[in-house]
Amino acid sequence: MSGWRFTLKQAPALRVDLRGITPTALEGLSAADVERLPVGCGNAMLALAELFGIETLTSDALVFDADLARFDRVGWHMSGGLMRVEGSVGHHAGGCMSAGELVVKGDAGALAACEMAGGTLTVEGHVGDFAASTLPGSMDGMRGGSLVVKGHAGARFGDRMRRGSALVFGDAGDFLASRMVAGTIAVGGRAGAHAGYGMRRGSVVFAAGPAAVQPGPTFVPAIADAGVIWQLLARDLARHGGPFARLATMRIERHLGDVAAGGKGELILAAP
Amino acid sequence: MSDALLRNGVTIDDSFAEAFPMKATRIVITAHNLTWARHAAVAATGFATSVIGCGCEAGIERELGPGETPDGRPGLAVLFFSMSGKELAKQVERRVGQCVLTCPTTAVFAGIQVGEAIALGKNLRFFGDGWQISKVIDGVRYWRIPVMDGEFVAQETTAVVKGVGGGNLLLLCRDTDTALAVAEAAVLAMKALPNVVMPFPGGVVRSGSKVGSKYAALSASTNDAFCPSLYGLVDHSELTPHTRCVMEIVIDGLTEADVGAAMRAGMQAGIAIGVAGGLLRISAGNYGGKLGPFHFHLQKLLAGGGVE
Repeated sequence: MSGWRFTLKQAPALRVDLRGITPTALEGLSAADVERLPVGCGNAMLALAELFGIETLTSDALVFDADLARFDRVGWHMSGGLMRVEGSVGHHAGGCMSAGELVVKGDAGALAACEMAGGTLTVEGHVGDFAASTLPGSMDGMRGGSLVVKGHAGARFGDRMRRGSALVFGDAGDFLASRMVAGTIAVGGRAGAHAGYGMRRGSVVFAAGPAAVQPGPTFVPAIADAGVIWQLLARDLARHGGPFARLATMRIERHLGDVAAGGKGELILAAP
Repeated sequence: MSDALLRNGVTIDDSFAEAFPMKATRIVITAHNLTWARHAAVAATGFATSVIGCGCEAGIERELGPGETPDGRPGLAVLFFSMSGKELAKQVERRVGQCVLTCPTTAVFAGIQVGEAIALGKNLRFFGDGWQISKVIDGVRYWRIPVMDGEFVAQETTAVVKGVGGGNLLLLCRDTDTALAVAEAAVLAMKALPNVVMPFPGGVVRSGSKVGSKYAALSASTNDAFCPSLYGLVDHSELTPHTRCVMEIVIDGLTEADVGAAMRAGMQAGIAIGVAGGLLRISAGNYGGKLGPFHFHLQKLLAGGGVE
């Protein structure tokens, strides 16, 4: 038995650091072992059982039947298995995860999927600033896997992102894909100011077309055909549905940049 | 000849074709339309009739509709065969670099996903002179190389699998006209099958060879036993005075079963033409079992059997 259901006993007075509570870490542990697992709460450590009622599941998943908005680092360094949170989560959700699947039914705070290297993080609600980006002081942001945000995203989405796919079904804030190194970002709604600021490579797709973004002055319109790579990319994004479902049938216009950082990135504006 | 089988007047030898293991890969070439995909595929599979002198054997396997290609454009599946993975990698890279990258509107993708990876666009990307861009989509890396009609998109690698080369049929006919007609019909029937190519011009070879030569420097020489021009001159001629033209079809396939199925289809097409159409006998090239481990017995194939 490696599946567990966690039910919040009461909302903690201080923020809780849930790092270390992953499917891989809990695999093979007894109920007593799981109950004793330490988690940080403020400047103290608590046993997991002090915060949650814990019961076993027949499936292999870790299910949090709770709103974890005051819990940070949910799925931090996750390396396999499935975690599902029936409510919201705090900051750093899915940070540095390398495999597995983390599903958040509510919102996520800042730095969701930061430095993610593999696996999938799905947030049914909104994410805060710096999702799919880098930890402070680090050179590379998200470097693999998939982040899917069904709601809106805050500022600096995909900052320094290097690889992988990050999708926002709704709007994205300012400085979308800033300093992006490579990878793919797709936005279903509108973007804030300065999209692609300082991006070196990578693709940012706007499913809502030219109205979704105003390319900055350091981007140049592309005149060349890129139909082949667009079809490959659009068909891959289409599997996520929503605003991306019909991308492959859309015309595109591209803007290349940021020419201040080499100009090998592209903003792709799809229009029916 | 005493154990020969007679079908529609055609003698089917109690013999077998002898084939050998090869390394193989499939690539998919797409383009703005089928015409340009075919230009690229024909060029890439040119001078690829025999590993004896070409480094690889290659051919167009089949046309692909827009629904069958990664980018939704028309394309062609092309099979390459070589004697080693290293040589195959060299040939694929050269041919794609010179014949596909250069051809207007084309893109190239791996046609086999599982197996040892060899470079497809991995090194060709340097043609981009620093402007090439890598794009990883669903775990697969593609290279976008700027060219004068836009960009050339090439998947980074393709996969190598074990293949079977050297399946063959010898079609012994009354004269040139009937031999060509029979061979063309057989090739047409074989081309309808997947996973095989007939690498010689039009799928047919008139210069069938035997292993070895009187000249030490040559590894192969003319198959004198089946040369009508040597009838009466060589004591081991396999021909009769009525057999004035012989054509061979060589088949390379991804598996034994594929080669066997193609040989069966070719024989059936020939038998349908029958002795009335000028096909007198069907035989196959073998070297006493010394050349390769795959033996395709003609009569067993016709009976629906497999291979040894």
